[in-house]
Amino acid sequence: MVVRSLVSVVDDDESVRESLPDLLREFGFAAQAFSSAEEFLASDCVCRTGCLILDVAMPGMSGPDLQCELMRRRKEIPIVFITAHGDETVRPRLLEQGAVECLFKPFSDTALCEALNAAFRVH
Amino acid sequence: MENELSRVVDMLPGLVWTALPDGQVDFLNQRWREYTGLGVDEACGEGWLTAVHPEDLPGLLERWRSILASGELREMEVRLRRFDGEYRWFLFRTCPLAHASGQVVKWCGMNIDIDDRRRAEEVLRAHERRFRSIVDGFPALVALRTPAGNLEYANRRYLEYFGATLEKLKRSAGGDDFHPDDLAEVLAAWREAAETGLPCDIECRHRAGGVYRWFHMHGFPLRDTDGRIVLWYLVHTDIDDRKRAEAALAEEKRLLEMVASGHSMSAILKALCQVVERTASGCYCSILLVDQSGTRLEHGAAPSLPASYINSINGRPVNVDSGPCATAAYLNQQVISVDLKMETRWAYGWRQIALAHGLRACWSTPISSTTGKVLGVFAVYYDEPRTPTRREQSLIQQITHIASIAVERAQNDAALRRSEAFLAEAQHLSSTGSYLWRAETDEITWSEETYRIFELDRTVPVTLERISTRVHPDDLPAFKEQVERARCDGSNVEFEFRLQMPNRSVKYLRVLSHSSRDESGQLEYTGAIQDMTERRLSEEALAKVRSELAHMARVTSLGALTASIAHEVNQPLSGIITNAGTCLRMLAADPPNIDGARETARRTIRDGNRASEVITRLRALFSRKSATTESVDLNEATREVMALSLRELQRNRVILRPQLADDLPLVTGDRVQLQQVILNLLLNASDAMSCVDDRPRQLVIRTERDEGDRVRLSVQDAGVGLEPQGVERLFEPFYTTKNGGMGIGLSLSRSIIESHHGHLWAAPNDGPGATFSFSIPRRSEGATGARRLGAIRTHAVATARHAMRKP
Repeated sequence: MVVRSLVSVVDDDESVRESLPDLLREFGFAAQAFSSAEEFLASDCVCRTGCLILDVAMPGMSGPDLQCELMRRRKEIPIVFITAHGDETVRPRLLEQGAVECLFKPFSDTALCEALNAAFRVH
Repeated sequence: MENELSRVVDMLPGLVWTALPDGQVDFLNQRWREYTGLGVDEACGEGWLTAVHPEDLPGLLERWRSILASGELREMEVRLRRFDGEYRWFLFRTCPLAHASGQVVKWCGMNIDIDDRRRAEEVLRAHERRFRSIVDGFPALVALRTPAGNLEYANRRYLEYFGATLEKLKRSAGGDDFHPDDLAEVLAAWREAAETGLPCDIECRHRAGGVYRWFHMHGFPLRDTDGRIVLWYLVHTDIDDRKRAEAALAEEKRLLEMVASGHSMSAILKALCQVVERTASGCYCSILLVDQSGTRLEHGAAPSLPASYINSINGRPVNVDSGPCATAAYLNQQVISVDLKMETRWAYGWRQIALAHGLRACWSTPISSTTGKVLGVFAVYYDEPRTPTRREQSLIQQITHIASIAVERAQNDAALRRSEAFLAEAQHLSSTGSYLWRAETDEITWSEETYRIFELDRTVPVTLERISTRVHPDDLPAFKEQVERARCDGSNVEFEFRLQMPNRSVKYLRVLSHSSRDESGQLEYTGAIQDMTERRLSEEALAKVRSELAHMARVTSLGALTASIAHEVNQPLSGIITNAGTCLRMLAADPPNIDGARETARRTIRDGNRASEVITRLRALFSRKSATTESVDLNEATREVMALSLRELQRNRVILRPQLADDLPLVTGDRVQLQQVILNLLLNASDAMSCVDDRPRQLVIRTERDEGDRVRLSVQDAGVGLEPQGVERLFEPFYTTKNGGMGIGLSLSRSIIESHHGHLWAAPNDGPGATFSFSIPRRSEGATGARRLGAIRTHAVATARHAMRKP
C-alpha cells in the first residue's frame, strides 16, 4: 500500500475548498480542506501534513498568522500561499519568511504542481 | 186737694224732689224715700247726697252749683244707691220755678231710672270696643268708608302706617294720597264697586311718609238689614316689596334672556348697570373685569361714569392699594366706603381721583364664578355719603349673580370657540376629519375637515349615497360591507379605503370608529377619517430614496476598491481554473473519471456564474459623477438621516436619542456622502442591537465640537460590542461580521470621511455596545470649497431631500 503524502488546504473560500482537494488527488496526493486556520490547528492533520496550501486573507487568524504559530510550535511544514489580492509586494515578504511559493489566484494546475514538487523537494 | 196732689206726687213713676233756691232739698217724694231707704229728715238739706255714688258725686256737685248759678234747665246722669246698697243709673232733671221777675223761687227735680238703658249702652260700647280692638289688631291696614267714600274709621295700624290721626285723615280729601298715575283707575274701580256692590280689588300706589308705596286694596261692603250698603271695609296690603321683587325678577329675566340669547358681554354688563341705576336712583354703576392673568382690572361697563374716571381705573393691578374695586377683587369680599372724604384707604391714589369726579360713596362687590374665582367687581357710586340699605344689598347680590353668569358664559363661549378653532386647525394640520353616524337613521354629521377631504359641498346634507359616489370603485364593495357590518354588530371599526375624486386623483383614507349608544339606546359611531395620501406618497418616495441611498453606499472611490474588486473576481476565477484543470486531468486518466469530471465541470459553471454576479454587483460602483463641496450643517444633515431611517429604527425597536450640539460650526463637504456615512453608522448600530433583548436598544447620536477646530459625530449603540482584535479590520473592504453583508459600508464610510480630511474610528463602550465616531474639520474662514471630492450626486438624492422636508 502506498502511503500518499497529505496536502492540507486552508481557505475561507468554499469553492477553493471544493475544487483544490480534487486536483490534488489527481496529482496523487491525499488532500484535506479546512475553512480556517483555527480549524486546521485543532485537527489531527497538523503532524501528518506534508505540505500546506494556505490562503493569506481570512477572517480570524490569517495565513501569515498560522505560519508564525506553526513556527512557534516548531512544526516545519512547507507552505504554499495562495491569495486573491494581486499585490506583488506580498510575495517577496512571504518568501522571505520561509514560504515555498506564493500563488496568485487564479493559478494554473501546472503552477501548483511545480510549487508542490518544490515543497516536497525541500524536505 | 193738697193731699191729693201730694199722693199724686208720691205715686209719680219717678223720684221727685224740690229744692230751695240755694239748693237745699226741702221735699222728696215717697218713691224717692222708698228707693233710697232714707227718711225725710235724713235726706232733706244735703243729706240726699249720701245716696249718690261717690264717683259721681264731684261731677254732680259741680254741675248742681252751675245749675243753681245759671238757673237753667239741666240734665245729669248719676248713680243712686238703692235701699239694699245697689247703685242704679238715674237721669237727673231739674227745672227752675221762677217769679215773673225771673227770680228762682224753687227747683223741681225728677230722677228717672235709666239703668237698663245704660246697661244696654254699656254692652253696645263694649261690643264696639271689642270690634275696634279686633280691627286694630288685624294684621293689615283697615279703613271703613261710607258709600260716598268718606273715611269713617281707620285701624291703629293704618294710622301708624300713614303717621296721622283719624281726624286728620278724615279731614284730608281721599284722592290726594294716591299716585296721580293711579288715581283714575282707583276712582273707576270705586265707582264700579259702588254701582255693583261687588267686592273690589285694586293695586295702586299710596303715599306713606312722603313716598309712594304699592298697595293692594281689597274692599267689601257691609249691608244693613234692608240690604243697603252702609259701609265699605277696605283692607290695604303693602305689596311694595313684592312689586319691587316682581320688577327685579322681570329685569333678571330680561337680563338672563340677554345672556341666553348670546348678546355680547359688554351689552349685558351695560344693561346690568342701567338696571341698578334705574332702580336705585341717584347712583352710578360700573363693572370691572379681572383680566386673564388674574392680576389686573379691565373696563367692563360704566354707562354713566365719565370716561376720564373709567380710564384712570382701567388696568389697575388687583391688590389692596389700587382702590376699593381692586381690594374687593383681591380679598373676594365686599368693600363699602360710606364717605370718601372720611376714607383713610387709597388716600393718595384712587380716593383723590374719585373725589375729583364728585363721587362720595363707593360700594364694591366681587363678582364670583361658581367655583369661587373672582371674575370682576360691581361698583355702585353716589355723589353723597351713603350706606347700602338691605334692599340695595339684595339688589347688588342679584346683579353680581347675573353678572357672574354673563361673564362665565362669555368666558366659556370664548374657550369653546378657541377649542373649536384649535380642533379645526388640528384636524386640518393632521388631515384628519371626524364624523358622527347614527346607524338607525343614517344621519351623518361631518366636521369641516371631513368635507374638505371628501371635497363635498357642506351645504348639502351628507348621505351614504353621496359618500359612495366618492369611494374608489374597486373599494366600494368592501366599503359597503364595512358599513353594513358596523350597522349590524355595533363593533368598533378600523379600515382603509380609497377615494376617487372627479379629477381621477386617488386619496388613501384610514377610518377609525368607536361605537356607542345614545340616551335612547340607538347605535351611533364617532370616528376619525385620516387622509393618508400625503403620507402614503411620502412613504413610497422615502422607500425609493432609501434603496437608492443604500445602493450608493456601495459605490466608493475606485482607488480604494480596485484591490477589492480584484479579490472578489479572483476568488471565483481561481475556482474555475482549478476545476477546469482537474476536469481535464480526470478525463485524461485511464480509465477516465467521468463522474469526477462532470462534477468539476458543474463547479466550473457555478463559479463562472458567481464571477459574473460579482461583476454585476460591482458595476454600480462605476457609474459615478463628481460632487461639489458646500457648507454643511451637520446637525441638519443628521436630522434628515434620522427622519429617513426612523422607520427602520422603530421597526427594530431602537430608541433614538439625539444629542445635537446647539452651536455646532458648519463643515465643508459633500452633504450626501456625509449622510451616507451617518446612515451607515445608524443602520450598523441598529443591526448590532438586533439580538439585544435584556436591555433597552438605545442609540445615542451626538454632535459636538472636537479638538483642533473639528466637529465630531458619534453613534453609540448598546449592542453586541466589538471583538478586541477586530476593531481595525472592521474598516477593511469586504470585512463583515454580518450574514449576507457585503462588508463595504464601513470601509466606504472611512474613505468618505478621509476624503473630508477627517477620520473614522470605533471604540468599545464602558458598558455594553460600541461607539463609532468621525471627526472632520470645521469650515475654515474664506474656504473656497474648490476641493473636489469623489462623490455621487444624483437626482434621487435631490428627490430624497425634497421628500424629507415634507411634513
